Amino acid sequence: MRDRFNEQLEQLNVELIKMGALCEEAISAATKALLEGDAALRETAAAAEREIDQKERDIESLCMKLLLQQQPVARDLRTISAALKMISDMERIGDQASDIAEITRDIEDNPVISHVPLDEMARSTIGMVTDSIDSFVRKNLGLAQEVIRKDDEIDRMFLEVKDELIRRIGQGDSGETCMDLLMIAKYFERIGDHACNIAEWVEFSLTGQHGDL
Amino acid sequence: MTAKLFRNSTAVAVSVMVLSIALFMGMLYQYFSDQLMGELETETWLVAQGVELNGMDYLTGLNTENRVTWVAQDGTVLYDSQADAGSMENHADREEIRQALTDESGTARRYSSTLAQQTLYAARRLNDGTVIRVASAQQTVVTLLLSMIQPILIILALALIISAVLASRMAKRIIRPIVNLDLEHPEDCDTYEELTPLLSRIKHQNDTIQQQVLQLQQKQQEFAALTENMSEGFLLMDRHGHVLSYNNGALRQLGAQAPQGEVNALVLNRSESFRQAVDEVLSGKRSQQMLHLNGRYCQLLANPVMQGEEQMGAVMVLLDVTEQEQREDLRREFTANVSHELKTPLTSISGIAEIMQSGMVKAEDVQGFAGDIYKEAQRLIALVEDIIRLSQLDEGAVNMEREDVDLYQLSLEVTKRLESAAQKHDVTIKTMGRSVQVHGIRRVLDEMIYNLCDNAIKYNRKGGTVAVTVGPVENGVEVSVEDNGIGIPAEDQSRVFERFYRVDKSHSKDISGTGLGLSIVKHGAALHDGQIQLKSTPGKGTTVTLLLPQA
Repeated sequence: MRDRFNEQLEQLNVELIKMGALCEEAISAATKALLEGDAALRETAAAAEREIDQKERDIESLCMKLLLQQQPVARDLRTISAALKMISDMERIGDQASDIAEITRDIEDNPVISHVPLDEMARSTIGMVTDSIDSFVRKNLGLAQEVIRKDDEIDRMFLEVKDELIRRIGQGDSGETCMDLLMIAKYFERIGDHACNIAEWVEFSLTGQHGDL
Repeated sequence: MTAKLFRNSTAVAVSVMVLSIALFMGMLYQYFSDQLMGELETETWLVAQGVELNGMDYLTGLNTENRVTWVAQDGTVLYDSQADAGSMENHADREEIRQALTDESGTARRYSSTLAQQTLYAARRLNDGTVIRVASAQQTVVTLLLSMIQPILIILALALIISAVLASRMAKRIIRPIVNLDLEHPEDCDTYEELTPLLSRIKHQNDTIQQQVLQLQQKQQEFAALTENMSEGFLLMDRHGHVLSYNNGALRQLGAQAPQGEVNALVLNRSESFRQAVDEVLSGKRSQQMLHLNGRYCQLLANPVMQGEEQMGAVMVLLDVTEQEQREDLRREFTANVSHELKTPLTSISGIAEIMQSGMVKAEDVQGFAGDIYKEAQRLIALVEDIIRLSQLDEGAVNMEREDVDLYQLSLEVTKRLESAAQKHDVTIKTMGRSVQVHGIRRVLDEMIYNLCDNAIKYNRKGGTVAVTVGPVENGVEVSVEDNGIGIPAEDQSRVFERFYRVDKSHSKDISGTGLGLSIVKHGAALHDGQIQLKSTPGKGTTVTLLLPQA
């Protein structure tokens, strides 16, 4: 009976890693589509997003099965509840990545992109998502806390991008493109928040303490 | 053990008891019975004497446990101490009576199954012919035993208790040294001598085990040395995807940290192709994937490990194929370039020839078209010659005769040859320095300096200069070709020595060239154990320095 339980926990772990990897793929495909104008990657991001949704449902039902059939306590219960919370954040990351890919369709080959410090923001965000998944995979508390700290940096970058865009609109650049870029920057900022949430849930499942609670 | 000992000692106790009871019963019963008979005969004699003297009065006054019967000569009972004489049957046919009547005395034993006892009879004939008989009951063996049942049971119980206590004590005493055996050093144990064979066997086994452990450790070390020192990554997992074994190469190539405890393979890497390889191989299929990670290419070969029909796990081998991939890229680029470079002049030639064939060319223009054809053909020849020379350098097939060459003289010759070309580009070229000797292949050295100077002239601007400086340096000689031309952008500097690499991607015809010049310089330098240094600032100029070992 316990063996079965451990097997299911292990399966949950593996599924979460896979879902995290899909998130990384979705966001890096979306970023590439944005920065390099690679249209084929838009479809990659959208496909990853669909797969992420499917994974969310799978993991959710696995968690429910574990909760109902095994009635876990203490650490195991924490792991499963953290998993349930994490998949909603991951699912949001997937959604926003595919939204970014969607927007890139409208601003293809627009020179404004290269003048806005979006690439730095994108790199930092991808780094945060990767680190948050890594902290989960390696059960690394230090890394999780580092991700949580990094969130402020992303917020700062968002403000920088915003200021630059305001300046550009003032200069007479296309307002529509600037708005699109602002949306993208906001999405990156949100993805950073979700990565931060994931890191917080990793911290919770490891220590039983949640930063916000 | 205790139970066994208990059973054994109980069995001994019980059997000893049964045997001794049987012995005593068998021996003593007969003895007692004879004794009783003797007593009975004496008593009969006494009673007979009494009756002789006092008749019936003696009998009625007699007080005895035994039954006394007085029988008349014809067998009728005259008196019986325990029954009414009148009602008793005739006793004449009784064995002891008959004996007494004939022999004066007689005895008999009779067994009464109803009373489960044996009765002893003794009879004596009186002087008047009547017979006195005294009978005494003797208990049989069975009844005797039955009467002894209580003490026997008590003794039996005692025997059981004593056996139990002794058995448990004995077992403890036997077991204690065995339990306390120091299995590592059996020979040092203080035990009883019956254990010695066991101890020597344990010692022997210890030696064998130790030897096997040593062998195993050695094997393991060999295996670890083997896997750790190979540059290929190696990963072994069970059928659930848990990592069983890995080497540092695998961690390095997967960009993973050493995992803590038993982990799933996906903890090491979760990229798409790795996931796919793990999924495929765990479902029993062979898988081959290319992993692109941190700018490096890693080829992933995964094979399921089968035992019969059942999959036991999977082996994964990771090969770093970055260089192969890059070389493959270069080769593709080279092929594309070479075909392009060869096709361009041919297309021109073919086009011009076609126009001439159609007769659309006026007679006076033929010379001009022929000149174009000649120029393109020359370009083609130069290209093919360069390619041939490069491949000769590649294969070392070039005439390898080395001689002492004065680089300064050689540079002077080269610059002289290029004088006219330089004038055409409005570039001044000069040679400075002093005479230095190297031991090398004149033809190759000539070509190297020629190519460098040729480039310096071609990629210059109007009114520019090319300065060739020859001289000795710390550990060899140096030829540096400096120009103040257009320069090479930083991102192209590392690639200009590649075949057909042109900074100007349009392969423009404004500057003629095959794209092989610097490649030939590079190969030539390698042939002379020399080095090339490139310093360039776009817009300011380029300095290429050739370092060669002194003769």
